[in-house]
Amino acid sequence: MLTAGQSLLRLTVRRIGQAAITLLLVLVVVFLLAHMAPGDPLSGSGDGESFHRISPQREQAIRDLYHLDEPLHRQFILWFGDLARGDLGRSFNDRTPVRDKILQRLPITFGLNLFALVFMISLAVPLGALAAWRPGSALDRWAGASTYGLYAIPVFWAGLLLQILFAVRLGWLPLYGIAGPDAQQLSWWLRMADRAAHLVLPVACLGYGGLAYLSRFVRANLLEGAQAEVKRAARARGLSEWSVVVRHGFRQAAVPMLTLAGFILPALVGGSVIVEEIFAIPGLGRLFVNAVFQRDIPVIMALTLLSGTATLAGILLADLGYLVLDPRVRRG
Amino acid sequence: MASRGRLPRPLVAGLLLLAVISAAGLAAPWVTADPSGIDLRQVLKPPSSQHWLGTDGLGRDLASRVIHGTRVSLAVGLLSALLALLAGIPLGAAAGYMGGVADGIISRLMEAVLCFPALLLLLALLAAGPGWLRSFPDIVQLAAVIALTAWIPIARYLRGEFLHLVGSDLVAAARASGAGHLRIVFRHLLPAALTPVLVTAAFTVAGAITLEAAISFIGLGIQPPTPSWGGLLTEARHHVDKAWWLALFPGLALFLTVLASNLAGEGLRDWLDPEKTPE
Repeated sequence: MLTAGQSLLRLTVRRIGQAAITLLLVLVVVFLLAHMAPGDPLSGSGDGESFHRISPQREQAIRDLYHLDEPLHRQFILWFGDLARGDLGRSFNDRTPVRDKILQRLPITFGLNLFALVFMISLAVPLGALAAWRPGSALDRWAGASTYGLYAIPVFWAGLLLQILFAVRLGWLPLYGIAGPDAQQLSWWLRMADRAAHLVLPVACLGYGGLAYLSRFVRANLLEGAQAEVKRAARARGLSEWSVVVRHGFRQAAVPMLTLAGFILPALVGGSVIVEEIFAIPGLGRLFVNAVFQRDIPVIMALTLLSGTATLAGILLADLGYLVLDPRVRRG
Repeated sequence: MASRGRLPRPLVAGLLLLAVISAAGLAAPWVTADPSGIDLRQVLKPPSSQHWLGTDGLGRDLASRVIHGTRVSLAVGLLSALLALLAGIPLGAAAGYMGGVADGIISRLMEAVLCFPALLLLLALLAAGPGWLRSFPDIVQLAAVIALTAWIPIARYLRGEFLHLVGSDLVAAARASGAGHLRIVFRHLLPAALTPVLVTAAFTVAGAITLEAAISFIGLGIQPPTPSWGGLLTEARHHVDKAWWLALFPGLALFLTVLASNLAGEGLRDWLDPEKTPE
């Protein structure tokens, strides 16, 4: 017989092992993606135009830099070694280290996503709680239908309409960018206000799609948490309907909420690509789109890999959290 | 147990809407003006009796461009779903029925692909993918790359169903009567799981249409002058300060199509799953 501690350890190790295999596959996917591409750094940006004018020595130097003469599996191992040292290679476009390009833009995308997440949670949790309070009521149905409709609205359409309404027609908010032209001359407070005004539309665009998913999730978990027996016990202690749902429901819902990390993260990253493109925000999404058009393979690889591993880490942490927090999983 | 009985309202609404949209798309060449007919005297005109949805920056009729865009969206959506079914059914069935190593490999592969945000992976594939991919027409290229991620929900569902059914009396009885593996899979397991798989495919269509529009919006999908909803919205960005109709109508068509597919899928699921049907 295994003790609870041993089986928890075994399950944890097994889950981490699975994640390691998945990570390897993620790496292989990204690597093969780049190596299927026609052309190499020597054939320009992959559009068939080559620099034949460079000297043979220079060409050899470039071949060595990108390990082009090695067999494929050696290239993979070399690439992996570089990655392990934190070296993401150099951009084909301007030969600057990809890592610097990413670190420069990461704070912008990170901030944007953080605000979007806060926006999403602060709307979805109360909405879900209100819907769970009186399941089947007009309020519940209205919240369900409207978030469902929102979910079907493509983000690039919403972005355009919001721009037309709030920036062009009403003139309340800036059309795009992250700072006004005179932002540098403003005092700190005004500069923050300017930044906030620029963020309103992008954050709303990035966050609204997840509302349906998240509020439904909150509602379903609250309802499950407030099942008959729990409810009856709580009601017997003289608690009101509202506090039964909210106090007892949320405690039980905390665990399943963890699994959301694995769903929301990829959605936000995918959304950033479009939102940054619409609102001309100089973050990672824009970097990616530009790299895609310039066929800047190292940048494409690095960003694809980054989003893949970040999601994998999110899913893994959620699963491990589940193992630790919910004794029922361990029994399985 | 509730009977299937009356069709749920979302299903009826979704199917009706889809029927109207498909009919418009199919009839496009006969009911609309030339979507590429340039008329420089009619540039950026708001909706009027002559041009119901207005005109674009080259004086082309927006209504006929939106209706022609339906063809692209539906073609990509249906073809992606078909390819996703062709890949997802065998892989999911193999993982669920065989278990063990096969299941391990297929499951890790699904997990790995799901780690990538679909839009990012597809854009990377279209930009860096193999050269031969580009020799296909835009629509086929897009459907193929979209199917590379869209097979997963189908395979996942089927894997779960099969894992559950393999241990059941259904399979034990078939095996006892001397049925081989292929016969068990094709005659006993697949028919039992097929309808929910088709429901998943309805959502696949909706997802594929959105992805196609997103890719075309970024500029890597359907190339002009072929009108696609995503491409029309990109054109609208150039006139965001003076032509609201260019942004409103293509997006509205996209929204209604996606909504209709989702409603049809959801309605179908409720209809087929009597336990969930609220009475």
